[in-house]
Amino acid sequence: MATMARRGRGSTGNARLREALVGYGFVLIPMAVFLTFFIYPFFYALYISRFDWGVFGKIETLGLENYRTLLDDELFWRGLKNTLLYTAAVVPIQMALGLSVAVIVNAGIRGRTFFRSAFYFPSLASSAAITAIALYILSADGLLNSIVGGQRPWFGDSDTALWSLVGLNAWTTSGTMMLFYLAALQAIPTDVYEAAAIDGAGFWRTFWKITFPLLKPAHFFVSVVSIIGAMKLFDQAYIASGGSGGPNYSTLTVVLYLYQTAIKDVNFGYAAAIGTALFVLIFTLTLIQRLLFGKAEVA
Amino acid sequence: MRNRLLLPALLLGLVLVAGFAASTSQGVTDKTTRSQASGEVTLSGWASSPTETKLLKEVIRGFERTFPSVKVNYAPISGDFTAAMLARFAARNPPDVLYVDSNVAPDWIKQRVLFPLDTYISQSKLKKEAFYASLLNGFKGPDGKIYGFPKDWSPLAMETNNRLLAAAGVKAPKTWDELRAAARKLQSKVPGGRPICLSPSWDRMLAFVYQNGGTFLNATKTKSTVNTPAVQRAAEWYVTLINQGLAGTPAQLGVGWCGEALGKEKAAIVFEGNWVVPFMAESFPNIRFTVNKMIRGKQEGNLAFTVSYSMARDAKNKDAAWQLIRYLVGQPGMKTWTSKGLALPSRRDVRAPAGRQNFIAAAPAARPWQFAPTFSKVIDTANNELSAVIERKQSVKAMLVKVEKVSNDALK
Repeated sequence: MATMARRGRGSTGNARLREALVGYGFVLIPMAVFLTFFIYPFFYALYISRFDWGVFGKIETLGLENYRTLLDDELFWRGLKNTLLYTAAVVPIQMALGLSVAVIVNAGIRGRTFFRSAFYFPSLASSAAITAIALYILSADGLLNSIVGGQRPWFGDSDTALWSLVGLNAWTTSGTMMLFYLAALQAIPTDVYEAAAIDGAGFWRTFWKITFPLLKPAHFFVSVVSIIGAMKLFDQAYIASGGSGGPNYSTLTVVLYLYQTAIKDVNFGYAAAIGTALFVLIFTLTLIQRLLFGKAEVA
Repeated sequence: MRNRLLLPALLLGLVLVAGFAASTSQGVTDKTTRSQASGEVTLSGWASSPTETKLLKEVIRGFERTFPSVKVNYAPISGDFTAAMLARFAARNPPDVLYVDSNVAPDWIKQRVLFPLDTYISQSKLKKEAFYASLLNGFKGPDGKIYGFPKDWSPLAMETNNRLLAAAGVKAPKTWDELRAAARKLQSKVPGGRPICLSPSWDRMLAFVYQNGGTFLNATKTKSTVNTPAVQRAAEWYVTLINQGLAGTPAQLGVGWCGEALGKEKAAIVFEGNWVVPFMAESFPNIRFTVNKMIRGKQEGNLAFTVSYSMARDAKNKDAAWQLIRYLVGQPGMKTWTSKGLALPSRRDVRAPAGRQNFIAAAPAARPWQFAPTFSKVIDTANNELSAVIERKQSVKAMLVKVEKVSNDALK
């Protein structure tokens, strides 16, 4: 009896160990990828930012010189201003659009599967292709001008180029935001809605008093994802301006400036400093958001 | 130019890569060696069109017949060539032979990623004198060494739409004044467009600056000379053409670049290089146009756009790489390469195809589109400032002050 029991306990111990090993085994590969392609480059970039760094590595040790240059770099500030302006405009639109589409799709309307796919579709298409199409639609004699009248080259005019990017990306990313909101909406228990219905609350009242507050964790998550995405704006600005950030610097974003510094100037050290500055900024913004949303559970 | 065609080029690149993957190059098994060079040599560049790729492969086949012991692995890059090459340089795994745009050559020479060819040149029979000096000088380092040979080149010329000019009863203008007069007569004849197409970029405007006796940098490339009356007057003339409605920018005309404006008859007069000829033949075969000599101001002035074949410093098979470069820029190689008129020969002893004499005539007055290290970004700034002038947000003078400062900062 006793020996049998001991053997039994031993085998459960082995099973648990094996289970743990298998678990770690599964984690190992993604972790290795994460460490190699995210964590290591991150610290390496921090290291590089202290040097004048060329194609073959160190040229000169600069210490914090790159960061000091950054403070006086007019183009960096211009890029930062554009990026913040873009973020401030695009995030609320993305969130509002994503939420309203999610509510519509979540309601028991006919053909909801179709709408869900249709709204999500722009998020799937490649940003390069979508931007190329947008360049045609927004050109001086493009589709938009033939609808609204006029001859404005939307991407060719510094007054409208950045706002064209806002419109373009609010549309393409709203599908992703919809998906996040949809998941959160379906997690709200139906009895709350039943209670509201018994109390005679209408659609808007239910939405503002129940749905919206209960989505607080989703708001936090969506706004973080949206802000981080917006701060990293690059490909659309690169394609729309042919890499120059023009016209009149209107589409110069921080990441586009980082790219120009690294690839055109072959100044990797300074580019790394720009990247670090952007990281600090995004990190701070995310912390502030966490404070604003209080102890909200992260979705 | 490459920027403006980036998207079509990207798409083309994808198609090309797929094509190459399908057609693996036939290895040469013949063991007869004509030099010590042997083994495999990699060649990378960008591919602008399927026709161009076909021609290059033809040249490469010619090379492999002449040097059977060397096998060429042609690996064109689709997408951002500069970024791709920098990554390969840094990884110490570059292609042996690669394209280098004259515009990035100063940066790459400074970064020491290219191999000086002087020892090879003195050992071989390749004559430097056969090349147009201004083009070859574009690939000369500050150390006086040669880091590449121009594979082809193009200056700007003035392309005019035959039908529109006939309708307005004007002949192709030859001077600034004639251009303005012709534009006035053309004004009602280009519905939905403008008489002239002018890019809001210095890689076109600088030709006019040269025509007015202005320059961007001094001869030794140590100081900006952009904030001078000659440059200011040329820039004001250029911008005024646009602001008076005599010329339109590609954005205003709803096109990607001025060649497209010529094809869509949204402009009757454009200033583009040889690349516009194959473009028109392929995309707008029914539009009749003429390549005229570049107009002149106080003097003739033009830009030369060129790309070299260079060797990477970390090339694994340098002897074979040199044989390939020598063949590609040699007389027979360049003859095949330029035979279809996709590019103009950078050698004096190779004749350009018929109908290109107005491009070749610009050779003496053309200066390479090239400045100093880190000037790609200076030019981006200069273009942004120029677009602000065109939008009437600042004066030409304010732009020049700014460009002068950024240039001098970059030269420090």
